[in-house]
Amino acid sequence: MIACQSFRANLQSREPEVLEHLRKCDACLDFAVRKDPDLFFRAIGGEELVPPGGIDAFAADVMAQVRLRQAEGSVARRFLVPPRRLAAAAALIVAVGISALVYDGGRRTVAVRPVSVATFKPLTTKPVVETYQSPNATIVEVPSEGKGEAQVVMIFDDSLPADL
Amino acid sequence: MLTAALLMVTGASFADDAAAAAKSLSVHTFTFKYKDADKAAAMIKPLLSAEGSMSIQPSTNALVVTDRTENLRAITKTLTEFDAAPQAFRLVVRLVAASRVEGNPPKVADELRDIAPKLAMLRFNSLEDLGSADVVGREGDPGIVTLPSGYRADFKFGEYDPASDSIKVSDFHLSKLQSEQLTSLLKTTLNLRIGQTYIVGATKAPQSQRALMIVLVARK
Repeated sequence: MIACQSFRANLQSREPEVLEHLRKCDACLDFAVRKDPDLFFRAIGGEELVPPGGIDAFAADVMAQVRLRQAEGSVARRFLVPPRRLAAAAALIVAVGISALVYDGGRRTVAVRPVSVATFKPLTTKPVVETYQSPNATIVEVPSEGKGEAQVVMIFDDSLPADL
Repeated sequence: MLTAALLMVTGASFADDAAAAAKSLSVHTFTFKYKDADKAAAMIKPLLSAEGSMSIQPSTNALVVTDRTENLRAITKTLTEFDAAPQAFRLVVRLVAASRVEGNPPKVADELRDIAPKLAMLRFNSLEDLGSADVVGREGDPGIVTLPSGYRADFKFGEYDPASDSIKVSDFHLSKLQSEQLTSLLKTTLNLRIGQTYIVGATKAPQSQRALMIVLVARK
């Protein structure tokens, strides 16, 4: 890892060793954030977060969505949010997001654990024939046509006697 | 960039929650009265969180589970339901010889009218009742059916599964008395939904002219 002095002298560099130092040295991280908050974003891999198809395609897609929502709004309701307000709101969200990132600089963990949610479960279905003596047998389960209908399961097994 | 920034903010706040949850791990020991701890372990495995763990104590038939408090609540509920006293069930077993005959088939007996339409779809138009029996038993009990026609079925009432509302009929072994000797016909394990009628047909091949139909209904 490069020395703190070298790091601080090359703050604007995007060399891997500079970013590595930023990830590992908290003191330099604080220093870098004070000088240039964007460095922190690059350090956590922000550069890799380019949308598929590139930024231009992404922006065009967003604008298409905005136009679509405008068209929907003009039909469904009469009060339309002006694009300027949308742009201002987006800018505000970006500003808040970056501020939160800078404030949260000391905490690098971004792992998200799955949270179990209790949900209603319908009855599970099990195979009628769970095991059968002969692996070569063919077992056909005919689904019943409705509640109360008998369900037919046929076992075709060549090893069975003919005079069952 | 906007999306990336929003994702980062959301990710960071979720990370706080996850870290806090990891700190609140609890340990609970479940001792089972009726069921096996190893079966209970297999049952709750999908319910454990990433931080959760468990160990089986065979000597006391107990399961020690470590997990987040909210997960332990769900696990406790599942295990309490699982460790219920063995329930009693009634299994109705009927045997029917079905065959395909040319020309006018014989009249279907009244006691076989409920299954005749289903078997007619399989082109079995001649049915012969080989007898029936009711067997009552609790989970884990053995059951034996002996019919005057020479057929005999040995089985075990397996465990009831609330998730599928079905009971396992384990080691269902059908044999036939021929020349004063029992000949084994087939051996299988079945899952029967409570109240549902099953017609399990056994024959050599789809084009066989004769099949043995085992009609089963399990009730609580």
